[in-house]
Amino acid sequence: MQDQAAEKSGLAVRLLAGQTAALARAISIIDRDGQAVSALLKAIEPHLGRAVVVGFTGPPGAGKSTLVNAFIAEMRGRGKTVAVAAVDPSSPITGGAVLGDRIRMAEHTMDPGVFIRSLASRGHLGGLSASAARVADLMDAAGFDVIVLETVGAGQSEVEMAEMADVRIVVSAPGLGDDVQAIKAGILEIADILVVNKSDLPLAKRTVGQLQAMLALRAPGDWKVPVLTTNAVDRTGLCDLADAVDRRAAARKMKGPRNALGGRTRRLLAQSVAKYAEHRVLNEANATIDAVVADLQQAEIGLDDAIEKILMQLCESQKNG
Amino acid sequence: MMNNIDKPTSTTGSDTQRAAFEAWQQNYDALIGEDTPVKNRSGIEVQPLYWPGGDPDGDYGDKLGFPGADPMTRGIYPTMHRGRTWSQRQLIGLGRPVDFNARIKKILASGASALSIIPCNSVYRGIDCDEVEPEILGTCGTIINTEEDMDICLADIPIDEISIGLNDPSPFTMLAQMLVVAEKRGIDWKKVTGTSNQSDYISHFVANHMFYRLSLQGARRVQLDTAAYLAEHVPNWNAFSIVGQHMQQAGATPAQAMGLTLSTAIQYAEDCKARGMEPEKFLERFTFFFDISISFFEEVAKFRAGRRIWNNLVTERFGVTNPRAKRFKFHAQTSGCDLTRQQPLNNIARVTVQAMAGILGGLQSMHTDGYDEVLSTPTEDSAKIAVSTQNILKHEAHLCDVIDPLGGSYYVESLTDAMEAEILDVIAQIDAEGGMFKAVESGFVQQLIGASALEFQDQVDSGEQIVVGVNAFAEDEDASARPTLKRPPKEHMEQQVERLKQNKAARDTDALTQALEGLRKAAQSEDTNIFAAEIDAIRAGATLGEIVKVLRDELGFGQPLVVA
Amino acid sequence: MTEVLLAPARVLVTKIGLDGHDRGSRIIAAYLRDAGMEVIYTNPWQAIDAVVALALEEDVDVIGISSLATDHLLVPKLMVALDAAGLGHVRVVVGGIVPDEDEADLLSAGVSKVFHPGAVREEIVSVVEQLAIAANNERPVD
Repeated sequence: MQDQAAEKSGLAVRLLAGQTAALARAISIIDRDGQAVSALLKAIEPHLGRAVVVGFTGPPGAGKSTLVNAFIAEMRGRGKTVAVAAVDPSSPITGGAVLGDRIRMAEHTMDPGVFIRSLASRGHLGGLSASAARVADLMDAAGFDVIVLETVGAGQSEVEMAEMADVRIVVSAPGLGDDVQAIKAGILEIADILVVNKSDLPLAKRTVGQLQAMLALRAPGDWKVPVLTTNAVDRTGLCDLADAVDRRAAARKMKGPRNALGGRTRRLLAQSVAKYAEHRVLNEANATIDAVVADLQQAEIGLDDAIEKILMQLCESQKNG
Repeated sequence: MMNNIDKPTSTTGSDTQRAAFEAWQQNYDALIGEDTPVKNRSGIEVQPLYWPGGDPDGDYGDKLGFPGADPMTRGIYPTMHRGRTWSQRQLIGLGRPVDFNARIKKILASGASALSIIPCNSVYRGIDCDEVEPEILGTCGTIINTEEDMDICLADIPIDEISIGLNDPSPFTMLAQMLVVAEKRGIDWKKVTGTSNQSDYISHFVANHMFYRLSLQGARRVQLDTAAYLAEHVPNWNAFSIVGQHMQQAGATPAQAMGLTLSTAIQYAEDCKARGMEPEKFLERFTFFFDISISFFEEVAKFRAGRRIWNNLVTERFGVTNPRAKRFKFHAQTSGCDLTRQQPLNNIARVTVQAMAGILGGLQSMHTDGYDEVLSTPTEDSAKIAVSTQNILKHEAHLCDVIDPLGGSYYVESLTDAMEAEILDVIAQIDAEGGMFKAVESGFVQQLIGASALEFQDQVDSGEQIVVGVNAFAEDEDASARPTLKRPPKEHMEQQVERLKQNKAARDTDALTQALEGLRKAAQSEDTNIFAAEIDAIRAGATLGEIVKVLRDELGFGQPLVVA
Repeated sequence: MTEVLLAPARVLVTKIGLDGHDRGSRIIAAYLRDAGMEVIYTNPWQAIDAVVALALEEDVDVIGISSLATDHLLVPKLMVALDAAGLGHVRVVVGGIVPDEDEADLLSAGVSKVFHPGAVREEIVSVVEQLAIAANNERPVD
């Protein structure tokens, strides 16, 4: 055991020194349980918090991979190193996957300042975001300035993964059939930047308008979500996109000191706890919870008290079903 | 024999049909020249054409008609192979230009009437031979990087008398080189005939990535510039060779391949029209290139349906009335995908059947594969057998004596109709995607083809589709059953590279720099013709690699969309 | 030594040299995916050092090279480059059109298997699975 841990910290040492093979290997083993992995994660923990994680998601056909490719070039032009985790779904039946996202990033294969890894979702489902968080941590520890997380679609797991990112970009393109309906409400709620790619297409302006209308329905926050247009092929709009990413990342970092410590894992945990509580309060047949609801409704207790009572109840009782 | 034809006064079906028949007969007689009666071994005289003689209630006129007239189902010319057989256009490509020249002279002497030059794979990639790993140089085709290389390839070949097929993707450097060679030989460009074979950039993007050199948008621009230039200066050259072969070999079914090809043709026609070119004129220069699989009747029906659809399509969509612009001219190649590594001599039988389907399907030009196609570049022996196969079918099996001999067969007519329906369905799907250009950009076409490829593979894997010698009737074989291949000697390739280096060193660098700059500017501006600038660059000694590099820089390379 | 993998096998399917036909490699990718493997699929015309970089970043077990023309003649160079990069444990298979004389050369250069036209799904999958296990067993301990 001791030897394994020592070996793993050898891996950690090389990863922290920026060795590509070590990072690649670490990513392969990071999902496994056990001493070796936790030793690795411990070893890298003090080195986290430097990188900015940028998430790109959106419906298929939006040209995400081409846009990511252009984004990488823009970042490299600004002297930043970039690591990319491109996630594609595994077949629910066979468990296998064909991972082709890096086809569109071929120009960066030989650049030592760019690391690209193709990942399959591997039926993690709810746990995919935890796995992706670990991968992002590894890349952070390896010293990359920017980490790109690319996922396809706008479903549940994509929303979760996006939440882990410091900057969440949703990419769409004009004339994708459903147009903006392809961007489901969940992902739109958490998006930081909306991009309409293929801006040369005639319907681009209309798509921008539709997105702006949807944004107007969103609860206002302290960040105004820009709707940008890009053409990933001739690379127009990339400069503005990169600037917006910088601004958003800076704003997020300022939000709180605890953010830095175990930042993305902390955020992930916070969201998961919130969801867990929400689910139980909304759906569970629980007399105690019902009573708290009634009391709050009738102003017998205040909101703060109600929260405390609920939390205690959740801890005490077992999850149903 | 000429008949005196009265204009039909009756409106009954029979009389209209008879009048159409007489019209065909007139055309046939005028074109056939000396038409000695043809008799078979039993002494029976074989007519050039057979038809029901009258079809008052039926749709013979609508669906079949007569060769050379609407709807062209039975053939695009009144005389078809009885008047002029298809061109034997065998693909040739060998190591050095001088080797190619020697082989081509032999082939022409043995009866081939047309050329088709296959360059080395490095040429397809747009790279000069001095930038390629030497092991893979010249193994699949001839290295042609400069105008001098082209000159040597065509030494003593009368460019103004032989139809030349250049397998030459965008930006058509081989054509530019050949035109400069012709110019230096004092040959009028108006006399240069041939085709930019397989010049279909959409099919390169989708299926034959081998030929892929420029981004989709860049290739579009180059194609239109070139077509416009050729229409003016080299009017007998076919700029458009629209390819079904690539997609069928990538796995598209025969109906899909035809449908997708016709959709591509529609796209190009619309692009030309948008450029201000006249459909009646440019459609005359549209040619097609198809795969011939071993599914015999299906292929015959595919070609007949293709002719009919094209005829109707150009009439409806482009208002064409010039019959020359309605002709579905095509070259076809027997499909290498059907050939096997196991028991390779069986492939001779396969190629024979495929060739028959092409001939009975009414092609204008054909390449037959060597039986060792699946093993390597064909040896001289197998290439000879491939040509002999065509000669045997022509002269011994008398496949040319009757035009569209399968016409009227219950099966073939029914199958032609059914294939037509499938093909039209594919065209409709592409229309719904907004046309072929959009449909390949989005990956729609690639997914369609990939699904068919997988389905066919499953059929072979499961044994549902038997492949003799592979999943049935297999035998243990030793390697001696397979012919040994020859590769160009290392010294030859080294010579070629050396020659290129010397060639480059001997140029007037000022003139060259200026000419390449002119090419760059042409690519940057919408108003200057890229192909014209390219010819200037060739005149100044630019190589293939230099030209392609400039255009890639300006027009982009992109990535052929490879949908996994 | 394990007989079983802890995670799906990761296989790089790619083409080197000049050829661009990809019907075969797409079918292989589908076979492997259907057998539960993860296929990193690339565009054609990869340079040798690009294949090495890909194999390194993606931590693959097996590399499948599809070759229709004479591009397989470059594979021995790839084997040397993989070794030099510390990827000697990665197994390489070649599929496509490979003349017999060349097959012997490839095998002695370290290629594990050459598949010819007519190779069936079951055989390909089984061979790749075994090779992935072997690669994993030989992977240098971290």
